[in-house]
Amino acid sequence: MKKKKNFRGNTLPALVMVGPVTLWLLLLVAVPLIYVVFMTFCSLDANYNLVFTFTLDNYKRLFDANYVQIYAQSLLIAFSTTLICIIAGYPFAFLIARVFTKKKAILYMLVIIPFWTNSLIRIYGWRTFLGSSGWLNNMLTKLHIISEPAEFLFNRGTIILGMVYCLIPYMILPLYTAVEKLDKSMIEASKDLGAKGPATFLKVILPMTASGIFSGSIMVFIPCLGYFFVADILGGGKSDVIGNLIERQFQSGNNWPLGAALSVILIAITLLLVKIYQICGGDMENLGV
Amino acid sequence: MKKKIMSLVLAAALTVSVVLTGCGSKETSANADAGELNLFIWTEYVPDSVFDKFTEETGIKVNVTTFSSNEDMLAKVKSEAPGAYDIIQPSDYMVSQLIAQDMLAELDKDALTNLSNIGEEYLDPVYDPGNVYSVPYQGGVAAIAVNTDKVDVEITSYDDLFDPALANSIVLLDDFRAIIGMTARSMGYSMNETDPAKLAEIKEKLLTLKSNVKLYDSDSPKSALISGDCSVGMIWNAEIALSMAENSNIEVVFPKEGPYVFMDNWCITKESPNYDNAMKFINFMMDPEVVQMVLAEFPYLNPNKTAVEAMGEEYSGNPAKNPPAEVIASGEYVENLDVDTLAVYDEMWTELKK
Repeated sequence: MKKKKNFRGNTLPALVMVGPVTLWLLLLVAVPLIYVVFMTFCSLDANYNLVFTFTLDNYKRLFDANYVQIYAQSLLIAFSTTLICIIAGYPFAFLIARVFTKKKAILYMLVIIPFWTNSLIRIYGWRTFLGSSGWLNNMLTKLHIISEPAEFLFNRGTIILGMVYCLIPYMILPLYTAVEKLDKSMIEASKDLGAKGPATFLKVILPMTASGIFSGSIMVFIPCLGYFFVADILGGGKSDVIGNLIERQFQSGNNWPLGAALSVILIAITLLLVKIYQICGGDMENLGV
Repeated sequence: MKKKIMSLVLAAALTVSVVLTGCGSKETSANADAGELNLFIWTEYVPDSVFDKFTEETGIKVNVTTFSSNEDMLAKVKSEAPGAYDIIQPSDYMVSQLIAQDMLAELDKDALTNLSNIGEEYLDPVYDPGNVYSVPYQGGVAAIAVNTDKVDVEITSYDDLFDPALANSIVLLDDFRAIIGMTARSMGYSMNETDPAKLAEIKEKLLTLKSNVKLYDSDSPKSALISGDCSVGMIWNAEIALSMAENSNIEVVFPKEGPYVFMDNWCITKESPNYDNAMKFINFMMDPEVVQMVLAEFPYLNPNKTAVEAMGEEYSGNPAKNPPAEVIASGEYVENLDVDTLAVYDEMWTELKK
C-alpha cells in the first residue's frame, strides 16, 4: 500500500514531468547526434549513397592543408568577434545595469527587439547599407568626404562586423546579469580603502563580473564558427568559416560522411571551450544549460 | 537569462510558423473520381494558374511540394515512403543519377502527343538518351553579363574573365561545377574532365581567377550587378535578363567556347501510384498554350519551340531570356563524376575560396 502511494506521490509526477523532456532530448538531440557520428565512419558508393564500410578517410581529410587554413581563419574571425563584443558590450551592460537604471527596461528591449527579426534579413540589410550605391557611400560622397564609392563589402572585416552585429546580444545579456548581481557595497568598500576608479574596476568589478564575460564569450565564439550565411553574404563567399565547409558537403559536394566529420570537429571545439570554461570556474547555469 | 530564453523560444516559434506556412502543400479544388497527383518541383518555377487550369480540364487534384536543390530533392524522395511523389523535376545530371539508381519510371511515349512541340536540339540529351525517362521543361545557360559603362576591355569568352584588367570586379555563381567547368571550357577541355593531368592544369588556371572575383553568389547575383558592386558576372541568363531590365548598361555575352547549359525535366517516380495522371500532366505541360502561361511568369530558356514562336518579341527577341539555338548547341551539360574525381573538384574549389 505504502509503495503504491510512493509511486503515485513521488515517482509518477516526476515521470510525467521529466518523461516528455527526456524523450524529446533523446529523439531530437541524442539520436541525430549518434547518427552524425556514425555517418563519419561511412563511405559513399558510386551513386553517392551512404554505405557502411568502416573507414577513417573522412577524418584523414580533415587535416587537408586548405581545411586547416579555414579552421584557422574561422577561429581568427570568432576570436576578433568575441573581443569586439566584450569591448563594446561591457560598457553597454554596465550602463543598463548601473547608470540608467530607470530606463533599464527600454535599453534592455533595444537589445532584444532586433533579435526578433530573422538574422538573415538583417544581414542583407547591412549589405544594402554598405554597398557601393548604398546609403553609407551615398552620404559620404554627398558630404564630399570621399569622391569614389568606397569598398566596404566582401572582406574579412565585413564578416566580423556582421558577426558582432548578430551575436552581441549574447554577450550583453550575461554581462548585464553579472553586473547587476555586483554588490554595491564592495565598490564602496574599495573606495573607502583608497582605491581609485581604475583600480576598483580592475581589482574589484572586473573579477566579480568575469563569469559574465566568460559565458558571453562562449555564447559568441561558438556560433561564429558556424554562421556560414554571414560569411557568404557579407564576405562574398571568399572567406569561408567551418560552417561553410559543412554546408557545402551536405549540399553540392554531396559528401555527407565528410560533412558529418566536419560537424564533429565543430562539436569537439565547442566541448573543449565549454570544458575550459568549467575549469576556469564558469557556472553552467550562465550558459543557459 | 529567463527573458533571453523566452525570446529565443519565441523567435524559434516564429521561424517554425513561417517555414510551415511557406512550404505547405497547396491544394486545388478536387474531383474525387479523377484522382490526384503529387508534384515535387522547384520553387518559383511553375505558376499556380497552370495547376488550376489542369484541375479544371481533367478534374485531377494537384498537390504541390517544393524543393530548392537537386540534392535536397534526392534525399527527400529517398527518405519518404515509396510513391509519395508522382512527378519530380530534376536537372540534367540528376536525371542520370536517378536513372542509375533505378528510381524513375519509363514514360509512355504514346501519351505524349505534345512532344512534337519540343525543339529537336533538346531531345535525346546525353543525360537521358532517347528521352526514355524525362522530357525537358525549362533551362538556361551560364552566360556573361557585362556592364559596358564600367568595363573597357572586350569580353567574348569565358577565357576573358581571367583578364587581369578585371581585378576585383566579377560576381560568379557560388557553384563549384559551374566555375571549375567554366575554367575547363576556357582551356578547351570538358566541364566533366576526369583526367588528373588535365585537372591539375585546370586547377592552376582556376586559382589565377581569385584576384578577379569580388563575390560568389548563386541566390541573387543580379543585385550586385544592378547596384554596381560588380561590373562583370558569370551567372544564369535569366538573372542577366532581370539585371538588364534594371540597368540598361548591362549586356549579355554568350561565351564563344560554348556555355554551361542546364535543363530541368519532368520525370515520374518508379513507385508512382498515379502513373496515368502523371503522364497526362507531363503532356499538358508541353501544350504551347500552357507554356506561354509559364513564360509570362517565369521567362527561362524554353525548349517548346511552338510556344516560343508564339511568344511576343519581348521574350523571343531577348537573347538573355531566350538564348539562340546555336548557343545551346555549342554548350555542355554537367554530368555526374565518380566520387574520387568529385573530391578533386571539391579540393580545388576549397582552395579557391579559402
